[in-house]
Amino acid sequence: MQRCLEVARSGVRWLGAGLWAACAMQVSAATVQVTVQDGAGKPLPGAIVFLESPEAKKLVRPVPNVEMVQQKRQFVPDVMVIPVGTEVRFPNHDTVRHHVYSFSAAKKFELKLYAGTPANPVLFDQPGVVVLGCNIHDQMVAWVLVVETPFYAQTTAAAPTVRLEKVPAGTYKLRAWHAGLPVGAPAHEQALTVTEPGAATPVVVKLQGAGP
Amino acid sequence: MLGSLRSSLIVRLVGLSLLLLLVVQVAAFAVVRASIEHNARVQIAQALDLDENVWRQLVEQNAESLQQGAALLAADYGFRSAVHSGDVGTIQSVLENHGNRIDASVTALLDTRMQLVSASVDEDVGDYEAALQQVLPTLSVQPQNSQIVVMGGKPYQFVMVPLRAPIVIGWVLMGFPVSQALASEMKQLLSVDVAVMVTRPDGSRSIPVSTLPLEVIEDLRESGAVTELDTDSGTLLARPVRLHSVGGEVQTLIFRSVDQVLAPYRQLQVLLGVITLGGVLLFALGNGAMALRMSVPLRSLIDATRGLSRGDYAVPMGHTRRKDEIGTLARSFDRMRIDIASQQAEIQHLADTDRLTGLPNRERFRRALMQAIAADGAAAPLVVLSLDLDRFKHVNGVLGYAMGDRLLQAVAERIGQQVRSRADLVARLGGNEFAMLMPQADGAAAREMAQRIVRAFETPLAFDDQTIDLSAGIGFACWPGPATDADMLLSHAEIAMYAAKQRLSGPLQYDPSLDSSSPETLSLLTELRRAVDHNELRLFLQPKVSLNGQPGSAAEALVRWQHPERGLVPPMLFIPFAEQTGFVRQLTLWMFEQAVVFLAQPHVQAMALRIAINLSTRDLLDPELSNKLGALLERHGVSPASFCLEITESAIMDDPQRAEAMLNRLSEQGFKLSIDDFGTGYSSLGYLKRLPVDELKIDKSFVMGMATDDGDAQIVRSTIDLAHNLGLTVVAEGVETAAILERLQSLSCDDAQGYYISRPMPIDAFLAWHGGVGARQ
Repeated sequence: MQRCLEVARSGVRWLGAGLWAACAMQVSAATVQVTVQDGAGKPLPGAIVFLESPEAKKLVRPVPNVEMVQQKRQFVPDVMVIPVGTEVRFPNHDTVRHHVYSFSAAKKFELKLYAGTPANPVLFDQPGVVVLGCNIHDQMVAWVLVVETPFYAQTTAAAPTVRLEKVPAGTYKLRAWHAGLPVGAPAHEQALTVTEPGAATPVVVKLQGAGP
Repeated sequence: MLGSLRSSLIVRLVGLSLLLLLVVQVAAFAVVRASIEHNARVQIAQALDLDENVWRQLVEQNAESLQQGAALLAADYGFRSAVHSGDVGTIQSVLENHGNRIDASVTALLDTRMQLVSASVDEDVGDYEAALQQVLPTLSVQPQNSQIVVMGGKPYQFVMVPLRAPIVIGWVLMGFPVSQALASEMKQLLSVDVAVMVTRPDGSRSIPVSTLPLEVIEDLRESGAVTELDTDSGTLLARPVRLHSVGGEVQTLIFRSVDQVLAPYRQLQVLLGVITLGGVLLFALGNGAMALRMSVPLRSLIDATRGLSRGDYAVPMGHTRRKDEIGTLARSFDRMRIDIASQQAEIQHLADTDRLTGLPNRERFRRALMQAIAADGAAAPLVVLSLDLDRFKHVNGVLGYAMGDRLLQAVAERIGQQVRSRADLVARLGGNEFAMLMPQADGAAAREMAQRIVRAFETPLAFDDQTIDLSAGIGFACWPGPATDADMLLSHAEIAMYAAKQRLSGPLQYDPSLDSSSPETLSLLTELRRAVDHNELRLFLQPKVSLNGQPGSAAEALVRWQHPERGLVPPMLFIPFAEQTGFVRQLTLWMFEQAVVFLAQPHVQAMALRIAINLSTRDLLDPELSNKLGALLERHGVSPASFCLEITESAIMDDPQRAEAMLNRLSEQGFKLSIDDFGTGYSSLGYLKRLPVDELKIDKSFVMGMATDDGDAQIVRSTIDLAHNLGLTVVAEGVETAAILERLQSLSCDDAQGYYISRPMPIDAFLAWHGGVGARQ
């Protein structure tokens, strides 16, 4: 129970950090409300939506104190979205050692057998999908989506509709990604023009081919 | 022996039952064999069902184990990091390296869309890419399955495992050759042979994996998939198991040996065969013993019955004590033997005995004689005495057969009384002929015996009021002597007896001269025949003259023998012999023909000559005589009245009935008949009166004695008177002097014949003489 709360807290924290960055960037901002559905039109939890544009890229700032915890021989969280340049720590809360690696092109690294928290965090300096695994425990898998934008959000089972706050008006690529998409498949992309601040613009994204 | 063996009932019985037993056994054997074979095949088929399952299981397990191996390999961190190096060379080498670790022939890396990224392939695989193109569609649908692929004529088992990093980022495809180890394992597990046969799309076949011997593989490769295979080591039943494959057809043939299954049954069959053989043998022995138990006594009974049929009744049958059927048969045979023996003895007795006199008969006598000769050999002397009653036919004819029988019985008794001891054997040989066998006797003893019999016959027999004088001809022959066997000895005695009868002499001992069949006689007979054929005989005529002035002339025909070496043979030397042998009949006919031919001549016919010809007993008894004479007369046209046939009294008396019949026929034919040598015989006047006689011829002994003996003269006178009183003419022969001729003339004798008138002379001389007399008259 306590661990669940902790997960929830850290999620809120990332969200908070995003909102904070948006507020700092622009005064004239709007809120984009996105609902992600699967091919069958059902709400899809765990999906990540983000808005890309050259302007947004300039607004990217690393997020501090991000952790990918190994607990009960699972990565927590299993899907994480971070802006480019963010350093992530890999604290091991299990009594067994882990050997975390990634063969993904966005970030190849390897944390050889360790216990506790490795001294150096891992810097994700390229945008893309990074799949994490443990060489000791094959069932452990986690995805880290590195984005070049400060406007991003992740759906949950409780909140299948996410709100992207304080988005400056402009033309964006609204992108949606889910771990269930085929390996190597690019994130869903659609154009989105944010005009003026005011009421949230509701957008529905359908992710074809994304498994739960 | 073999033939009798084959036809023997027992052999056939035993043989047949043995044959039937064999047939049954063979049939049972065949059925068992067929059933075993059938069962074996069913059993093998069931086993092959199991084998097929096991084989499929084994292939699947192999696939699983390969898959596990491949999965482990794909999870290897080094492998994964090498694959992610992005360097083609590195990827290639890691595929090769790690593929070799688990003996994969093909190791390929595919991306998540099943597109080939890189591959490592053993050199001998050949065209793998085409094969991969075929295997991928199947495996991409169900990656956890395995797939068999034919490459270069060999089957490979392909498995595919995901490559995780840690999510599935691609696939590792591995191909393993279907190995000999798999087949060997199968063989080890189930004791079956396995052959993996690959048929390529072009139809060529290969068998890359097999536990079979090489030559069998070669055969199999040529024949293709079969269900039954004959090899040097026996018949194999095959089960083709088709494995799903691409790039060619893969069939696994699982073989099970029929013989291996049959082997234990074969032993059973051999045992069955041995039992059958033993059974047949025991059966044959048992049956044989039984057959022997039957056949040995049967054969001895058969031998015994053969003895019976040979007339050997003395040996009792064997096996009469047995209680079975054979015993019954033997006892029955034995009773038959005893009955037949007693009947035989009775028959023998009847056959050996003369019913009338109770004496032994000719057969018995002959046997006794033969036994005596055989027992005592040539050295022991013995005598056979033969006796024939005189005038017996006369007795039969006059007094009746009953009296004749009584006479014979009485004679038998009288002769029987004369025997010296019981060793002398008296027998009735037939008719009125008797014989006596005298062992240990010589000629003197025989003569003495003969005299005793003669003396015994001197007393006449008296029956009721009849008195019969007995007389008999007696002859005997001695052993050893001219005879060479019993029959000849008996025959000799009879010849002597007949000679004695003929000569009216006392008992005679056999001498070859008596015997017409003796060697001397035979040569004479031959010469006589030759004489007829070579015309050595001559017809002589002795004239008769009429004393009472009757016209015509007469002569007696006589035969003379002009022997080429001996000259003229006198009639006394061959006529009696001719009478004895019967040749006289030919002589008579010869003379008759000569006379007929002579009389047929015209100048002789003019003479009115009557020729007298002598007939013997044999002639008279020849029933054809009258016909033969008639034929000759007819041929030459001469009248029977030209002939006078002269018959002696004795010739008539030998068989009066037949003689009388013949004389009647001759007389009816027209011949004149004359009684020759009248006065020497015993014929009664009463009897003569019955005969168709025309003339009496007074015996010359009386005529010649007339001159000196008044008695003879008286006889001649009485005879002439008697004849004349009976209406007969009288001829006197033996007229040798003129005084006798004159005396005869004074006594009114009709004709005269003798040396005084003329000797017998040849025909020419007779004609000349006749002419002279004629001239004188």
